[in-house]
Amino acid sequence: MAKVLEPESGGVALQAVGKRLPKLDALDKVQGKAVYIHDLKMPRMLYGKILWSRHAHARILNIDTSRAEKLPGVRAVITGYNTPEIKVGFLKDNPVLKKDKVRQYRDEVAAVAAESLEIAEEAVRLIEVEYEPLPAVFDPVEAMREGAPLIHEEKGSNILKLPWKLICGDPDEGRRQADFVVEETFLLPWVTHCCLGTSGCLAEFQPGGNLTVYSPTQIRYLAQRDFLEAMAALGLKDKRVRVVSTAIGGAFGSKLDTYPFEFITILLAYYAGRPVKLVFSREEEFFATPARQKVEAKIAQGCTREGRLTFRDVEMVLDNGAYTSWGATTPSVMMMPISSLYKVPNVRYTARCVYTNNIYATAMRGYGNPQATFAIESQIDALAEQAGFDPLEFRMLNANTAGEVTPQGFKVGSCGMKECLEAVRESLNWNEKRGKRNGRGVGVGSLIHVGGGARIYKSDACGTIIKLDDFAKVTVMSGATDMGQGSDTVIAQIVAEELGVCIGDIKVIMGNTDLETWDVGAHASRTTFVAGNSALYAARSAKEQILALAASLLNEPQEDLAIKNSVVYSRRNPAVSMQLERVLRAAHFKTGGTQIVASHFYDPPTQMLDKEMKGNFSAAYTYGVHGAEVEVDRETGRVEILKYVIAMDVGKAINPMLLEGQLEGGAAMGIGYSLMENLQTEKGKVLNPNFLDYKMLTFADMPEITSIIVETGERFGPFGAKGIGEPPLVGSAPAIANAVYDATGKRVRSLPLTPEKLLFDADGSEERGGE
Amino acid sequence: MRRFTYHEPKSIADAVHLLSAYGEKARLIAGGTDLVVEMKQGKKEPDHVISLRSVPGVNEINFSGGYLRLGAMVTHRAIERSPLIRERFTLLADAVDNLGSVQVRNVATVGGNICNGAPSADTAGPLLALDAVLLVEGPEGERNISLNEFFRGPGKTALAANEVLKQIIIPELPPEACSRYLKHTRRKAMDLPLLGVAVTLIPEAGGEICREARIALTLAAPTPIRAIRAEKHVAGKPFYRAVWEEAGVLALEDSSPRTSFRTTAAYRKKMICALLPRAAAEALERSGRTMKG
Repeated sequence: MAKVLEPESGGVALQAVGKRLPKLDALDKVQGKAVYIHDLKMPRMLYGKILWSRHAHARILNIDTSRAEKLPGVRAVITGYNTPEIKVGFLKDNPVLKKDKVRQYRDEVAAVAAESLEIAEEAVRLIEVEYEPLPAVFDPVEAMREGAPLIHEEKGSNILKLPWKLICGDPDEGRRQADFVVEETFLLPWVTHCCLGTSGCLAEFQPGGNLTVYSPTQIRYLAQRDFLEAMAALGLKDKRVRVVSTAIGGAFGSKLDTYPFEFITILLAYYAGRPVKLVFSREEEFFATPARQKVEAKIAQGCTREGRLTFRDVEMVLDNGAYTSWGATTPSVMMMPISSLYKVPNVRYTARCVYTNNIYATAMRGYGNPQATFAIESQIDALAEQAGFDPLEFRMLNANTAGEVTPQGFKVGSCGMKECLEAVRESLNWNEKRGKRNGRGVGVGSLIHVGGGARIYKSDACGTIIKLDDFAKVTVMSGATDMGQGSDTVIAQIVAEELGVCIGDIKVIMGNTDLETWDVGAHASRTTFVAGNSALYAARSAKEQILALAASLLNEPQEDLAIKNSVVYSRRNPAVSMQLERVLRAAHFKTGGTQIVASHFYDPPTQMLDKEMKGNFSAAYTYGVHGAEVEVDRETGRVEILKYVIAMDVGKAINPMLLEGQLEGGAAMGIGYSLMENLQTEKGKVLNPNFLDYKMLTFADMPEITSIIVETGERFGPFGAKGIGEPPLVGSAPAIANAVYDATGKRVRSLPLTPEKLLFDADGSEERGGE
Repeated sequence: MRRFTYHEPKSIADAVHLLSAYGEKARLIAGGTDLVVEMKQGKKEPDHVISLRSVPGVNEINFSGGYLRLGAMVTHRAIERSPLIRERFTLLADAVDNLGSVQVRNVATVGGNICNGAPSADTAGPLLALDAVLLVEGPEGERNISLNEFFRGPGKTALAANEVLKQIIIPELPPEACSRYLKHTRRKAMDLPLLGVAVTLIPEAGGEICREARIALTLAAPTPIRAIRAEKHVAGKPFYRAVWEEAGVLALEDSSPRTSFRTTAAYRKKMICALLPRAAAEALERSGRTMKG
């Protein structure tokens, strides 16, 4: 149960916003009625299957598909040699079917469409590929060295030409001003999204050449654009692509890009002339989909005797893997905590992304922020200790505040960081429990994240269309994507509030590029803020149209009219009223009538980062603090979480129940990242592509989460709300690592924080004395 | 998954006959929680799958004449729900309490768990510490194999290709005995052990001195093992923590844990030393006594 610290803002009694409403499709989901890609079937549909590479790095000498082609039931066999070249990804370095060489075990070498999945699997086994293995490189530091095997020869280097760099103030001077400095190196592992629903899509060409792709994508409209490029490659330049969303069985950033398998499915459907569905097995989901990347972070921070931070200096090497997806751009988000978590005047950050023969890196909930915050916030504790401060007090001293402009140029509107710190202090009984070193300890980890969209693209907009029918039922067509986070419900609540109708009268439709208007995608914790504002302004426009009509029908000034419970009434004289549906019918059941349709395209008031990577790229910033109390078994090294608390400044909770779901779900991912999750690879091969060996938390491992909702009322947010999708996992790892340090005196600088690392040195071999 | 012929013989003798007839191409299936997964992955591709589910009596738990007899097809769930086992063979209940999920326990069998020969088998340690004997049937008739002699290597057992496990026979423990199986895992559920320690303690009258201890370890060696040196060390000595810490060090001598991607040999060794005294102490607590020192 959440504890709400602040009362509803403004003193206006809200009808729909702020209510604990179950997610609108919850019943469908628990009854098994929601249609996921796994459920979807089309008449004449074929099943697609991909042949993966058998090497981490090898030349392809020959592919013999003749036996597969002869297998009864096989309808198409494709390779890079019999299809037009399509390259995908942020740097277009990923051919959807590999030609000439493979760079990872996950590489797509050939694909088959067949009448059944079994036949497709058998056909894939019949394809013979001749390889010549090449020297490979799996460590990004080694990959940067002169003479290392080149992953993409034509690039001449394994270092991506994306030199991430941010300098604010004078970091060298900041270091000179510091009375205390701590320098450390932190290591973070590959981890993956673990979506309940594996990846997949269904492609179907209509007669005439238009294409429909059914997909659980997070980026319907950007995917549409990518698929149009594939159409051009197939000579279908002027045809249409329609992207239809299925129910999404989890995304967490994994479906924020388009991937080779989707284009392979389109190619298979094109060549077979029939609809094709391709869905990953769990094993494929683990090794073939990109993940959150491995990071090595060198960090130094310093402060004065008075406890003021003077500088922060961070240098990172990121394992990009063999291809480039959004992982390579996560430094743009890592900059945010590095420059703006606490008041730190002088900042330097550089990051290099390096190609290796590993699996490749993409977006994952937090988008780099969890990695950066683990390093910053673990070290804040170390620095506080060196300077002689209570770590929580040290954070209070340096906390962000409303109205500040950070060194990177963020204009902070609302900021509840101090309230969050105080709430966690109280909830953990911090003053009582801290500093005992008796196997029990407490720790905190603060965070900042974008809460008002993020201008990554030239547009950060979302479109909404609202129409009302004859019976005052409202249809909201939103470009947004609901991937389980509850945007369907939140949008309905916002529209219900603005229009004065009940939530049951609203239907939110999202998921068809032919119907709704553009949206940049479900990323950067932006949907409640951006799609919410878009829906709010569209609803306001519809309301104004309605009130104008009602004004003439009721013969009252429009400004006196309002709508509540689907009745238009005069605020001055409530006896003057009319049922909303009568107003709507009266609008068009006449000569020269009209209809109520409104639309709004909301783009938040933000800037793209400039060449120096500075600017106010979000309209609001979300702050929060994770707190943990742990008990460490000194004999086995096992960490037990006794209490876990998240205090989050969300601006305004549109739906506290869904918000708690976000906080608890994020905490589960964050605690997993902290203690257990690790996508292990050996020479590029994923060793644990299953849920037995990839350790996600089970219910039994999940502590009860105390959620504290702090409401600061964001000026630009819909009803004061800020985004909340990613922050619930950002501060987990440092909170737990700091609690473990408080319990044991042992500082672990790599994740996951395993029992081995607590009992031994980081390499797990040599025993280490206590600190 | 490759196609196969499914057989449901009505007797163990018929199953033995089928195994003899099809040889390498046949596999016995019990609960199928390991076999079916391996078949789906293409790691095992039998042409004939022979199930014992229609053989009468193989899913029965029977306690008489001083012996507990578990049919080979007794599920983990049945063991978990048996008050008799929980009360008198407690460490076996420990083994199944935290094995897989309820769904897995509903179908997975104790016979399958043993015959799979996995170094991590959860029932192996407790059954070793219970001195279990296996009753098997082959073309020549029945024979008994001590569980101590059964495990021959990872995935390898003393069972001949055409032999079938019928029953697991466990001698009754004296009423003063107590036991504990500790399964050390990363997660609290749905996990394999990093190390398993099973301890059965039989005290002298008065309860201060250990008359006999049976100690079994899983994942301490290529097969589940008895830690004989440790057993000998504690026998005849009082229940002192120091004694059991020495036993932990001696147990290392019987062990040869390996490093894998799941954990390191060094960590497993440390867990043997840490968990053996803990298992013994928790066993003692179950009979209302405490480890001293």
